[in-house]
Amino acid sequence: MKNTLLKSLVLLMAPALLFAQEEAQGQLHGNFQLDGQYYVRDTRIDPLGEFYPDERFLGQGFANFIYTQGNFTAGMRYENYQNVMLGFPDGYKGEGITYRYARFKQNDLDITVGNFYEQFGSGMVFRSYEERGLGYDNAMDGIRIISRPVKGVQFKGVLGRQRFYFDKGPGILRGADVDVDMNAYMSALDNKGVQWSLGASYMSKYQRANDPFLILPENVATAGVRSQWSKGPFNLLTEFAYKANDPSADNGYIYKDGHGAIATLTYSKKGFGLLMSAKRIDNMSFRSDRNATTTDLLINFLSPTTQVHTYALPALYQYATQINGEEGFQIEASKKFKRKTKLGGKYGTTLSLNYSVVQSINKDFVDPANDTLRTIQGYYHNPSALGSIPYFHDFNVKLEKKLNKSYKFKLSYLNLFYNRSVLEDGLGDEAILANPDNQKLLNAHVFVYESLYKVKPKHYLRNEFQHLSTKDDRGSMVMALAEYSIAPSWFFAVQDIYNYGNPDASLRFHYPLASVVYTVGTNRLQVNYGRQQQGIFCVGGVCRVVPPSNGVSFSLTSTF
Amino acid sequence: MKKVVFLLALVIAGLSLPQCDVIDQPFKGGTIDTTSTVQQRNVLIEDFTGHRCKNCPKASKAIKELVDAFGEDRIIGLAIHGGPSNFTGLNADYPTDFTTQAGKDIQNFFGTNFLPVGMVNREGWTPSGNTHWSNYANWPTLSAQAMDSTLHIELHAEAAVSGGQITVEVAAYPQTELLHDLKAVVLIKESHIISPQLMPDDTRDTLYDHKNVLRDFVTGTWGESFATSPILTGDTISASYSKSWNSNWVKSNCHAVFYVYNPDNYRILQVIQTEIN
Repeated sequence: MKNTLLKSLVLLMAPALLFAQEEAQGQLHGNFQLDGQYYVRDTRIDPLGEFYPDERFLGQGFANFIYTQGNFTAGMRYENYQNVMLGFPDGYKGEGITYRYARFKQNDLDITVGNFYEQFGSGMVFRSYEERGLGYDNAMDGIRIISRPVKGVQFKGVLGRQRFYFDKGPGILRGADVDVDMNAYMSALDNKGVQWSLGASYMSKYQRANDPFLILPENVATAGVRSQWSKGPFNLLTEFAYKANDPSADNGYIYKDGHGAIATLTYSKKGFGLLMSAKRIDNMSFRSDRNATTTDLLINFLSPTTQVHTYALPALYQYATQINGEEGFQIEASKKFKRKTKLGGKYGTTLSLNYSVVQSINKDFVDPANDTLRTIQGYYHNPSALGSIPYFHDFNVKLEKKLNKSYKFKLSYLNLFYNRSVLEDGLGDEAILANPDNQKLLNAHVFVYESLYKVKPKHYLRNEFQHLSTKDDRGSMVMALAEYSIAPSWFFAVQDIYNYGNPDASLRFHYPLASVVYTVGTNRLQVNYGRQQQGIFCVGGVCRVVPPSNGVSFSLTSTF
Repeated sequence: MKKVVFLLALVIAGLSLPQCDVIDQPFKGGTIDTTSTVQQRNVLIEDFTGHRCKNCPKASKAIKELVDAFGEDRIIGLAIHGGPSNFTGLNADYPTDFTTQAGKDIQNFFGTNFLPVGMVNREGWTPSGNTHWSNYANWPTLSAQAMDSTLHIELHAEAAVSGGQITVEVAAYPQTELLHDLKAVVLIKESHIISPQLMPDDTRDTLYDHKNVLRDFVTGTWGESFATSPILTGDTISASYSKSWNSNWVKSNCHAVFYVYNPDNYRILQVIQTEIN
């Protein structure tokens, strides 16, 4: 392994080292992270011990190395899973160099070979990215060219395959994206204070087909157009995408085409911000393996139009985009009341409101007895009619206020509706429409009080008190958190979630967690001890248990 | 401006023309010939499932469709109820215990908490990989590929229950030279067990017909040493395996499954099933 690492580094750096004789010396940067957990057998949350790992200790880590010299960059990432920690995808096994690339810029040409991340527009046609906390990585391995052939025009072309854990997906991706700054060609726009850009994207995948029953399209394409317009405080972003027939595990192997549309309008001026967005998705799952499920090998990214919560209790019921179809909108407003006004008080007050709602799209399913039409069409969609299955809504209001030089707080209320049948169990619209009374729904009220108290210079105490009130699912929970930080090195935290309202009295557990963090320079060590709740995570008809666990975990990070 | 529009149109048109197949008629025509009496390479689909896994009936249905198309000699399903208990556990609504320690051991070794998921002849296994797992939607393709591949070893088996014991006599005839050892596995599976199953529409089917349920291994879970390298064409390898018979199993609904695999990579070279006399 050491030899492989060394050879890879030397190969990657060789061109740069040659150049180095002629130009100024380059720079090497990097970062490292190691996470591990020693699991403690907890017979209360895992009575059968089926999630208790044989290894007792699981650890995983990675290191990035990036060398830059002038217009040349090269980098690599080494990853190691011995074995992958509970809750992460099981596909991460072993160790190796999972990301390596070389990139150089020459005049108007920017060329990358090897691995890269890229995105066209909002990602509805193509997005290659990494979300390390979720164990998600669909990095491309191939060639990317970025060029500015004429004034105001940027062209991107990509060719390659996607990462699939320590392997690659079977599909080959070919795509291009063009972005045109219209101001470069229409001077009247500048005169009116308008900024306008247009873009178009295209992505095609090739995957060999050998199904004994079905004639599957081996080449499947998606295309999209977009516009971004802004004037003064207004900004309007619109994007539309179309996908050709793409029978897949996600859509039940129907040959229906797909559509996606998103529009976002923002208004922003000092002390006030407004965001409105609307989205409709119809059969827009797009993967480089038609048989892939969960989060594997997604080519595109369908951004959620709901707010992402970081507080622990509302985060238990986070919305995830339904790639087979959804429609929804979001409105968010934020107003800062000036200091020394009636509402602003001595230090000013910020009030934020957010409302988002998502539901199914209208679908008229073809009778399964009509085998051919069912396979070709699947369902009919009337864009002018609303879907009847509510997926999610979130109304929340947040008040932020500083009372004095030492104390400030945030007070939040959230009203959540969460369709567990859709979002946890992965139930499809057709099954729900057949048995609408069988849906598992959750309605919850959440209150959060967060405060920050400056004890003395460099000493801060942050507290959170959260209460989730519901009669559904696991019932009501309460959480308390206290964090004490001594800048810049020390951080201590204790928290407990108590599921006091669980309908099953024998499952009314505490989930305590204690943390210590020590930071010195760019090195950071965090040690935790506590319990994690169990959950079930379903995407596209496949379910994975996110296991309960108890134990001592640590995380070490370092950058240079 | 014209130059930009032209460039944009050129790029889009150039990329889009050859790279999208529009299918008007999705079904392949013709019939599949299942009349051959010469042994060909067969397929073992290990279907990891659970009676509280709502999407698992879809996987069982996929196996049945393949069996209907290719015959039960060529497509051999095996339903392994290995856990986790969220999907395989017992309660008043789901009272039948389909789990076996051997099934759990197999699931733990190959490693997954996803259900439904399966392996087709255990192709693609590597110590650090994940490519041995497949979704039921991919089983037709993987099965077709496996059935098209070379048969390296022909298998025969006879199974009978006598005096509370099942005895399975097996024989193997290499069709090509093999430069690795072989292990032999014999197991018992049972079909037509009527017991509740959680269905894809979230309802409970109390009269669900559970098929291909792994009951027990006659050999060890990971088999017995069967032949050592080199294995030459013309060799005949035979063995006999016995185990006590569980009288709760309905013999007429059971099959003995016999397969041989390469212990270096767990790849199953051939599999057959036989009725139990």
